[in-house]
Amino acid sequence: MSFTPLVPLIGISDVVIGLSLGSRLFLIAVGLSLIFGVLGVLNFAHGGFYMLGAYVTLAVVSNVVDNFWIAVVVGALAVGVVGAAIEFSAIRRLYDRVDSDLDQLIVTFGFVLVIHEAVRFIWGSGSYSIDPPDVFNFSVMVGGSTFNAYRLVVIGLAVGVLVALWLFITRTYFGSLVRGTSSDREMAAMLGVDVPRLYTGVFFLGSVLAGLGGALSAPIQATSPALGDQVIIDAFIVVVIGGLGSMSGAFVGAMLIGMMQSLGPQFISAGSIAIPFLAMVIVLLIRPEGLFGGIGE
Amino acid sequence: MSATDTGGRVSRFGSAVAEGWTRERFGLLGAVALVLIALAPPFQVYLFTDFLVVALFALGFNLLYGYTGLLSFGHGLFYAGGAYGIAIVLRDLGPVIADVVGAGISPLVTFVLGGVVGLVLVVLVAVPVGWLSVRLEEIYFALITLAFGMLGYSLIIQDPAGLTNGTDGVIVLLGTVDLGGFSLRIGGRRIYYAISAVTVVAATYGVWRVVNSPFGTVCKAIRESPDRAAALGIDVGHHRWMTFIVSAAVVGIAGVLRAGLASVASPGLTHWSTSAIAVIATVIGGATYFYGPIVGAFIFLYIRWAISRFPALEAYWELFFGALLIAVVLFFKQGAVGGLLLLRDRLFGDGDGGGGGGALNGGQATAATDDGAESGDDNARADRGDNS
Repeated sequence: MSFTPLVPLIGISDVVIGLSLGSRLFLIAVGLSLIFGVLGVLNFAHGGFYMLGAYVTLAVVSNVVDNFWIAVVVGALAVGVVGAAIEFSAIRRLYDRVDSDLDQLIVTFGFVLVIHEAVRFIWGSGSYSIDPPDVFNFSVMVGGSTFNAYRLVVIGLAVGVLVALWLFITRTYFGSLVRGTSSDREMAAMLGVDVPRLYTGVFFLGSVLAGLGGALSAPIQATSPALGDQVIIDAFIVVVIGGLGSMSGAFVGAMLIGMMQSLGPQFISAGSIAIPFLAMVIVLLIRPEGLFGGIGE
Repeated sequence: MSATDTGGRVSRFGSAVAEGWTRERFGLLGAVALVLIALAPPFQVYLFTDFLVVALFALGFNLLYGYTGLLSFGHGLFYAGGAYGIAIVLRDLGPVIADVVGAGISPLVTFVLGGVVGLVLVVLVAVPVGWLSVRLEEIYFALITLAFGMLGYSLIIQDPAGLTNGTDGVIVLLGTVDLGGFSLRIGGRRIYYAISAVTVVAATYGVWRVVNSPFGTVCKAIRESPDRAAALGIDVGHHRWMTFIVSAAVVGIAGVLRAGLASVASPGLTHWSTSAIAVIATVIGGATYFYGPIVGAFIFLYIRWAISRFPALEAYWELFFGALLIAVVLFFKQGAVGGLLLLRDRLFGDGDGGGGGGALNGGQATAATDDGAESGDDNARADRGDNS
């Protein structure tokens, strides 16, 4: 705070904050994109899943075990179970309908309301936050600006998830089933793929990723019942820009939006929150498949 | 997929009530009810006005969803357009108009002019937004309308032109008409109810005429099968665009009324969660029926009010509607109106002798009653011949 550097207009800390915001967006968007790519379902409740992950993690840390990492795993898995249950009990009934896409969107929107109210019922309307785990809870100072070291951990984990997912989809047997079913469901079913189980599995995985995003972000955000509604819109922007169904697209899109959220206000004072939506409109009109390719790319 | 549609059902409904219950008598009964409601306690009058406005909002939305199959998550943009149109006219032009027409009558003139400006504003926004949006279908249409709505939300919040007063919104003061010994407070509960009732009934009749015109028939053909409609030489994109504009205009009228009722035009009207109210009301009421959105809006407002009677539940009314929405889409796509018609058929027998009420709704209904209808669904899917 001693002086304002004149030459580097962009502080390193702003970049790190932007990338960490992008990382949390990536974790929610990649699950959203994966589910859309394989099941064709645009899951409106994905923001609710993210929020649920944050809440479960907070609850575990403060009530059960005082270990952040265990709480993160519990949070992510709990959300995965909730997601799989929703797919199994509700969304599954809609795959064979004529207007299945819109019915699925409306049903998952119903779950947005249910999850929002359930969270408010259990944890109240207030907002919670926790400190990052002690090992990483220190400030890093670069070029006169500071940020919390935990943000680097979030960025690193997001990159790790991207690599792991890519290896999983392109190099494993289950991944090849996912890709096959994604490109032709009937053919995959005929070749002996248990499509309903695979769908539930993919929905579980996508939900775990959203829960993981929420859990990891618990120390760098205020967790309140409004969180789900906020992040789902950002996630929609990310997946549209990156391309629905594309994982690398979700990563690039998320980093782009994260940086825009962090740096945007410094460059454009008015209209900065409008720019992501403008970008979304333009991408939908010019390249509805997104700036990047399909699943597994 | 059988060719039943809303028009057929409306005429069938007409024939069913023909014995003693003509459409004229029905209309008269409705008019009497509307007048009687004006005599109710003030809060009930307010609640009913609220219902009328939401009903018109949902009706406009459903013109697009129920009649052309395009699900918009951004109609809040037009709801807000109408509200901000009238609010800004009242704020900025009120004194000017008072100078021209005299202070006594000016509140009424300003109100009417504001309404017209709101409507024109909405159409001016809807023409380009609709033109761009109807290029997309299904999920992508939902996403682009969501983006347009949120774009409007961002612009209203950030207020680059200095017109919308940011997050606080614009206060709406309707004023009092004063002509010698006669004075009339436009914002008064009962007066405003009368204005709203007349406007909503007129707009509903207008929409009904559109739906039952050749234009409306083409819209339904597009909903059932865009490809077949195109093969018949219908310009699908052009019809969707026109429907989008009409739909937005109806929503804009609802927005004008909303501003006066709430006494404020607030940015929340453009937020996607407001657009979602139209989705909830329409789906619960039954999107394939003309009266579906109206019945859905009634259920939405009155159940919310009923829940608010119980302090323990008051804060959680959304939970109820979330669960209801899921249940309706999963198990009974015909919604409340479909349920009522089914009930009527069960109670009074089926005048048409056409195999029970369950089959009322063609493809949609069979799809909703899962299992046994699978082959029918496959056919329907083949009919559409696209969108997978």
